[in-house]
Amino acid sequence: MRRRIRPSWRGPGCQLHLPPEERQLLESLPSQLAEVLGSLDLSDGEVPGNLRRLFPRAYVSDEEAERSFAESTRAELAASHRRALETLAGTAQETVLGEEEMAGWLTALNDLRLVLGSALGVQEDQGWTPSPAVEHEFVIYQYLSLLQSELIDAMERTLPPPLPGADDAVPEDPWGEPLGGLRWDGTPLPQSPFGDQP
Amino acid sequence: MSRAVPEALPAFLATSAPAEVAGTDVDESVTTDHPWLVIVWNDPINLMSYVTFVFQKLFGYSREKAHKLMMDVHTKGRAVVSNGPRERAELDVARLHQHGLWATMEQSG
Repeated sequence: MRRRIRPSWRGPGCQLHLPPEERQLLESLPSQLAEVLGSLDLSDGEVPGNLRRLFPRAYVSDEEAERSFAESTRAELAASHRRALETLAGTAQETVLGEEEMAGWLTALNDLRLVLGSALGVQEDQGWTPSPAVEHEFVIYQYLSLLQSELIDAMERTLPPPLPGADDAVPEDPWGEPLGGLRWDGTPLPQSPFGDQP
Repeated sequence: MSRAVPEALPAFLATSAPAEVAGTDVDESVTTDHPWLVIVWNDPINLMSYVTFVFQKLFGYSREKAHKLMMDVHTKGRAVVSNGPRERAELDVARLHQHGLWATMEQSG
Protein backbone atom coordinates (compact mmCIF):
# COMPACT_ATOMS: atom_id res chain seq x y z
CA MET A 1 0.00 0.00 0.00
CA ARG A 2 1.38 3.38 -1.00
CA ARG A 3 1.89 5.81 1.81
CA ARG A 4 0.45 9.30 1.72
CA ILE A 5 3.32 10.70 3.76
CA ARG A 6 6.84 9.62 2.86
CA PRO A 7 10.20 10.73 4.22
CA SER A 8 12.10 12.95 1.81
CA TRP A 9 15.17 11.46 0.21
CA ARG A 10 17.06 14.61 1.05
CA GLY A 11 16.85 16.35 4.40
CA PRO A 12 14.55 15.74 7.35
CA GLY A 13 11.27 16.72 5.66
CA CYS A 14 8.61 14.62 3.99
CA GLN A 15 6.64 14.35 0.77
CA LEU A 16 2.84 14.52 0.68
CA HIS A 17 0.97 12.30 -1.76
CA LEU A 18 -2.61 13.33 -1.15
CA PRO A 19 -5.60 13.51 -3.48
CA PRO A 20 -7.29 16.93 -3.79
CA GLU A 21 -10.38 16.00 -1.74
CA GLU A 22 -8.18 14.99 1.21
CA ARG A 23 -6.19 18.22 0.96
CA GLN A 24 -9.45 20.14 1.02
CA LEU A 25 -10.47 18.30 4.19
CA LEU A 26 -7.07 19.00 5.77
CA GLU A 27 -7.56 22.67 5.01
CA SER A 28 -11.13 23.05 6.23
CA LEU A 29 -11.12 20.94 9.41
CA PRO A 30 -8.22 22.69 11.18
CA SER A 31 -9.45 26.11 10.02
CA GLN A 32 -12.80 25.46 11.68
CA LEU A 33 -11.26 24.24 14.91
CA ALA A 34 -8.77 27.14 15.00
CA GLU A 35 -11.68 29.53 14.55
CA VAL A 36 -13.63 27.93 17.39
CA LEU A 37 -10.55 28.10 19.63
CA GLY A 38 -10.05 31.74 18.70
CA SER A 39 -13.58 32.58 19.79
CA LEU A 40 -13.23 30.86 23.17
CA ASP A 41 -13.48 32.93 26.31
CA LEU A 42 -10.79 31.36 28.45
CA SER A 43 -11.13 33.76 31.34
CA ASP A 44 -14.00 32.05 33.17
CA GLY A 45 -12.27 28.68 33.41
CA GLU A 46 -14.99 26.62 31.73
CA VAL A 47 -14.15 25.17 28.34
CA PRO A 48 -17.19 23.93 26.43
CA GLY A 49 -17.93 20.30 25.74
CA ASN A 50 -15.61 18.37 23.52
CA LEU A 51 -12.95 21.08 23.49
CA ARG A 52 -12.26 20.27 27.13
CA ARG A 53 -9.94 17.49 26.05
CA LEU A 54 -7.55 20.15 24.67
CA PHE A 55 -7.37 21.81 28.09
CA PRO A 56 -6.77 19.09 30.69
CA ARG A 57 -6.37 19.75 34.40
CA ALA A 58 -2.88 19.77 35.92
CA TYR A 59 -4.03 19.28 39.53
CA VAL A 60 -6.57 16.54 40.18
CA SER A 61 -7.89 17.76 43.52
CA ASP A 62 -6.31 21.12 44.43
CA GLU A 63 -8.80 23.62 42.99
CA GLU A 64 -6.78 26.71 43.89
CA ALA A 65 -3.56 25.40 42.35
CA GLU A 66 -5.53 24.30 39.29
CA ARG A 67 -7.09 27.74 38.87
CA SER A 68 -3.72 29.41 39.10
CA PHE A 69 -2.13 26.91 36.67
CA ALA A 70 -4.97 27.38 34.19
CA GLU A 71 -4.73 31.18 34.43
CA SER A 72 -1.04 31.16 33.67
CA THR A 73 -1.05 28.54 30.89
CA ARG A 74 -4.40 28.51 29.08
CA ALA A 75 -3.83 31.46 26.74
CA GLU A 76 -0.53 30.01 25.53
CA LEU A 77 -2.03 26.52 25.31
CA ALA A 78 -4.88 27.79 23.13
CA ALA A 79 -2.39 29.77 21.02
CA SER A 80 -0.15 26.73 20.52
CA HIS A 81 -3.11 24.59 19.41
CA ARG A 82 -4.13 27.35 16.98
CA ARG A 83 -0.62 27.76 15.59
CA ALA A 84 -0.46 24.03 14.83
CA LEU A 85 -3.93 24.00 13.26
CA GLU A 86 -3.10 27.04 11.13
CA THR A 87 0.13 25.38 9.98
CA LEU A 88 -1.84 22.33 8.84
CA ALA A 89 -4.51 24.43 7.08
CA GLY A 90 -1.88 26.67 5.51
CA THR A 91 0.27 23.86 4.11
CA ALA A 92 -2.41 21.32 3.16
CA GLN A 93 -1.79 22.02 -0.54
CA GLU A 94 2.00 21.62 -0.37
CA THR A 95 3.84 18.64 -1.80
CA VAL A 96 6.81 18.85 0.58
CA LEU A 97 6.91 19.67 4.29
CA GLY A 98 9.87 20.88 6.36
CA GLU A 99 10.63 19.68 9.85
CA GLU A 100 8.76 22.49 11.64
CA GLU A 101 5.71 22.07 9.46
CA MET A 102 5.67 18.35 10.21
CA ALA A 103 5.67 19.13 13.93
CA GLY A 104 2.68 21.44 13.38
CA TRP A 105 0.87 18.74 11.39
CA LEU A 106 1.50 16.18 14.11
CA THR A 107 -0.03 18.34 16.85
CA ALA A 108 -2.87 19.55 14.65
CA LEU A 109 -3.86 16.03 13.53
CA ASN A 110 -3.82 14.98 17.17
CA ASP A 111 -5.94 17.97 18.24
CA LEU A 112 -8.51 17.16 15.57
CA ARG A 113 -8.59 13.52 16.67
CA LEU A 114 -9.00 14.53 20.32
CA VAL A 115 -11.98 16.76 19.58
CA LEU A 116 -13.57 14.39 17.08
CA GLY A 117 -12.86 11.34 19.24
CA SER A 118 -14.41 13.05 22.28
CA ALA A 119 -17.49 13.95 20.26
CA LEU A 120 -17.79 10.37 19.00
CA GLY A 121 -17.20 8.94 22.48
CA VAL A 122 -14.42 6.71 21.13
CA GLN A 123 -13.62 3.79 23.44
CA GLU A 124 -10.49 1.73 23.63
CA ASP A 125 -11.98 -1.74 23.69
CA GLN A 126 -11.88 -3.45 20.34
CA GLY A 127 -15.56 -4.30 20.28
CA TRP A 128 -16.54 -0.62 20.26
CA THR A 129 -18.26 0.70 17.16
CA PRO A 130 -19.77 4.12 16.58
CA SER A 131 -23.50 4.53 16.11
CA PRO A 132 -24.54 4.51 12.44
CA ALA A 133 -25.58 8.16 12.73
CA VAL A 134 -21.93 9.26 13.07
CA GLU A 135 -20.38 6.78 10.67
CA HIS A 136 -19.04 9.53 8.39
CA GLU A 137 -17.38 11.34 11.26
CA PHE A 138 -15.84 8.07 12.39
CA VAL A 139 -14.39 7.57 8.90
CA ILE A 140 -12.77 11.02 9.18
CA TYR A 141 -11.45 10.08 12.61
CA GLN A 142 -9.89 6.90 11.26
CA TYR A 143 -8.47 8.75 8.29
CA LEU A 144 -6.79 11.29 10.59
CA SER A 145 -5.42 8.40 12.67
CA LEU A 146 -3.93 6.77 9.59
CA LEU A 147 -2.36 10.03 8.48
CA GLN A 148 -0.94 10.72 11.94
CA SER A 149 0.53 7.22 12.05
CA GLU A 150 2.29 7.71 8.74
CA LEU A 151 3.56 11.10 9.84
CA ILE A 152 5.03 9.65 13.05
CA ASP A 153 6.86 7.01 10.98
CA ALA A 154 8.27 9.75 8.77
CA MET A 155 9.28 11.84 11.81
CA GLU A 156 11.09 9.20 13.84
CA ARG A 157 14.42 10.08 12.27
CA THR A 158 13.95 13.75 13.18
CA LEU A 159 14.21 12.88 16.89
CA PRO A 160 17.49 13.92 18.49
CA PRO A 161 19.55 11.14 20.08
CA PRO A 162 18.49 10.19 23.64
CA LEU A 163 19.83 12.45 26.41
CA PRO A 164 22.52 10.73 28.46
CA GLY A 165 21.14 9.71 31.84
CA ALA A 166 17.54 10.71 31.02
CA ASP A 167 16.24 7.12 31.22
CA ASP A 168 17.45 6.75 34.80
CA ALA A 169 15.99 10.06 36.01
CA VAL A 170 12.41 8.75 36.11
CA PRO A 171 11.35 7.29 39.46
CA GLU A 172 10.14 3.73 39.47
CA ASP A 173 6.39 3.33 39.32
CA PRO A 174 5.39 4.30 42.89
CA TRP A 175 2.14 2.32 42.72
CA GLY A 176 3.32 -0.89 41.12
CA GLU A 177 -0.21 -2.07 40.63
CA PRO A 178 -2.82 -1.26 38.02
CA LEU A 179 -5.29 1.43 38.94
CA GLY A 180 -8.01 -0.90 40.02
CA GLY A 181 -10.05 -0.45 36.92
CA LEU A 182 -10.56 3.32 37.00
CA ARG A 183 -9.00 6.38 35.43
CA TRP A 184 -8.49 9.48 37.55
CA ASP A 185 -11.78 10.91 36.31
CA GLY A 186 -13.69 7.82 37.39
CA THR A 187 -14.22 6.31 33.93
CA PRO A 188 -13.38 2.61 33.58
CA LEU A 189 -9.94 1.54 32.45
CA PRO A 190 -10.20 -1.00 29.62
CA GLN A 191 -8.37 -4.27 29.70
CA SER A 192 -5.30 -4.19 27.49
CA PRO A 193 -6.16 -5.80 24.16
CA PHE A 194 -2.56 -7.00 23.99
CA GLY A 195 -2.52 -9.07 27.18
CA ASP A 196 1.05 -9.29 28.42
CA GLN A 197 2.55 -8.72 24.98
CA PRO A 198 4.09 -5.31 24.27
CA MET B 1 -8.78 4.48 2.11
CA SER B 2 -10.83 4.89 -1.01
CA ARG B 3 -14.03 6.04 0.55
CA ALA B 4 -15.01 9.69 0.08
CA VAL B 5 -15.11 11.75 3.23
CA PRO B 6 -17.36 14.74 3.99
CA GLU B 7 -15.81 18.18 3.65
CA ALA B 8 -16.64 19.55 7.03
CA LEU B 9 -17.08 18.56 10.63
CA PRO B 10 -20.72 18.71 11.59
CA ALA B 11 -21.71 21.12 14.28
CA PHE B 12 -21.14 18.80 17.20
CA LEU B 13 -17.88 20.47 18.15
CA ALA B 14 -19.51 22.23 21.04
CA THR B 15 -21.88 19.56 22.30
CA SER B 16 -21.32 18.48 25.83
CA ALA B 17 -19.09 15.66 26.94
CA PRO B 18 -19.40 13.88 30.28
CA ALA B 19 -18.27 16.17 33.08
CA GLU B 20 -14.91 15.48 34.58
CA VAL B 21 -15.06 14.27 38.14
CA ALA B 22 -12.10 15.39 40.18
CA GLY B 23 -10.63 13.01 42.71
CA THR B 24 -11.28 13.72 46.36
CA ASP B 25 -8.30 12.23 48.16
CA VAL B 26 -6.18 15.09 49.43
CA ASP B 27 -3.05 14.15 51.30
CA GLU B 28 -2.61 16.64 54.16
CA SER B 29 0.81 15.36 55.15
CA VAL B 30 2.78 16.54 52.11
CA THR B 31 5.72 18.81 52.68
CA THR B 32 7.55 21.08 50.30
CA ASP B 33 10.63 18.84 50.38
CA HIS B 34 9.20 16.04 48.32
CA PRO B 35 9.59 16.24 44.56
CA TRP B 36 6.57 16.51 42.30
CA LEU B 37 5.61 13.65 40.03
CA VAL B 38 4.33 14.27 36.52
CA ILE B 39 1.77 11.60 35.64
CA VAL B 40 0.35 10.72 32.24
CA TRP B 41 -3.04 8.97 32.23
CA ASN B 42 -4.41 6.48 29.78
CA ASP B 43 -6.92 7.75 27.26
CA PRO B 44 -8.65 5.99 24.37
CA ILE B 45 -7.70 8.48 21.65
CA ASN B 46 -3.96 9.15 21.62
CA LEU B 47 -2.09 6.66 19.45
CA MET B 48 0.45 4.44 21.20
CA SER B 49 3.12 5.43 18.67
CA TYR B 50 2.31 9.10 19.27
CA VAL B 51 2.65 8.83 23.05
CA THR B 52 6.02 7.06 22.66
CA PHE B 53 7.16 9.74 20.21
CA VAL B 54 6.18 12.59 22.56
CA PHE B 55 8.02 11.01 25.50
CA GLN B 56 11.17 10.73 23.38
CA LYS B 57 10.85 14.26 22.05
CA LEU B 58 10.04 16.06 25.32
CA PHE B 59 12.21 14.15 27.77
CA GLY B 60 15.04 12.76 25.65
CA TYR B 61 14.27 9.16 26.64
CA SER B 62 15.53 6.26 24.60
CA ARG B 63 12.98 4.55 22.40
CA GLU B 64 12.95 1.56 24.77
CA LYS B 65 12.30 3.69 27.85
CA ALA B 66 9.62 5.76 26.10
CA HIS B 67 7.94 2.57 24.90
CA LYS B 68 7.97 1.09 28.41
CA LEU B 69 6.42 4.23 29.90
CA MET B 70 3.77 4.25 27.17
CA MET B 71 2.95 0.59 27.92
CA ASP B 72 2.66 1.43 31.64
CA VAL B 73 0.18 4.16 30.75
CA HIS B 74 -1.70 1.78 28.50
CA THR B 75 -1.84 -1.26 30.75
CA LYS B 76 -1.74 0.23 34.26
CA GLY B 77 -3.71 3.38 33.50
CA ARG B 78 -0.96 5.83 34.46
CA ALA B 79 2.79 6.30 34.62
CA VAL B 80 5.18 8.77 36.19
CA VAL B 81 7.05 10.32 33.26
CA SER B 82 9.17 12.94 35.02
CA ASN B 83 9.78 14.42 38.44
CA GLY B 84 11.37 17.44 40.04
CA PRO B 85 10.63 20.76 41.74
CA ARG B 86 7.13 22.16 41.37
CA GLU B 87 8.03 24.73 38.70
CA ARG B 88 9.73 22.09 36.58
CA ALA B 89 6.75 19.75 36.95
CA GLU B 90 4.33 22.52 35.91
CA LEU B 91 6.44 23.19 32.84
CA ASP B 92 6.45 19.51 31.89
CA VAL B 93 2.69 19.26 32.40
CA ALA B 94 2.17 22.34 30.22
CA ARG B 95 4.36 20.86 27.47
CA LEU B 96 2.49 17.54 27.65
CA HIS B 97 -0.83 19.42 27.43
CA GLN B 98 0.42 21.25 24.34
CA HIS B 99 0.95 17.81 22.82
CA GLY B 100 -2.55 16.69 23.80
CA LEU B 101 -1.53 14.22 26.49
CA TRP B 102 -3.56 13.81 29.63
CA ALA B 103 -1.01 14.88 32.26
CA THR B 104 -1.40 15.84 35.91
CA MET B 105 1.06 16.41 38.76
CA GLU B 106 1.15 15.50 42.41
CA GLN B 107 3.65 15.71 45.22
CA SER B 108 5.35 12.48 46.19
CA GLY B 109 5.85 11.29 49.73
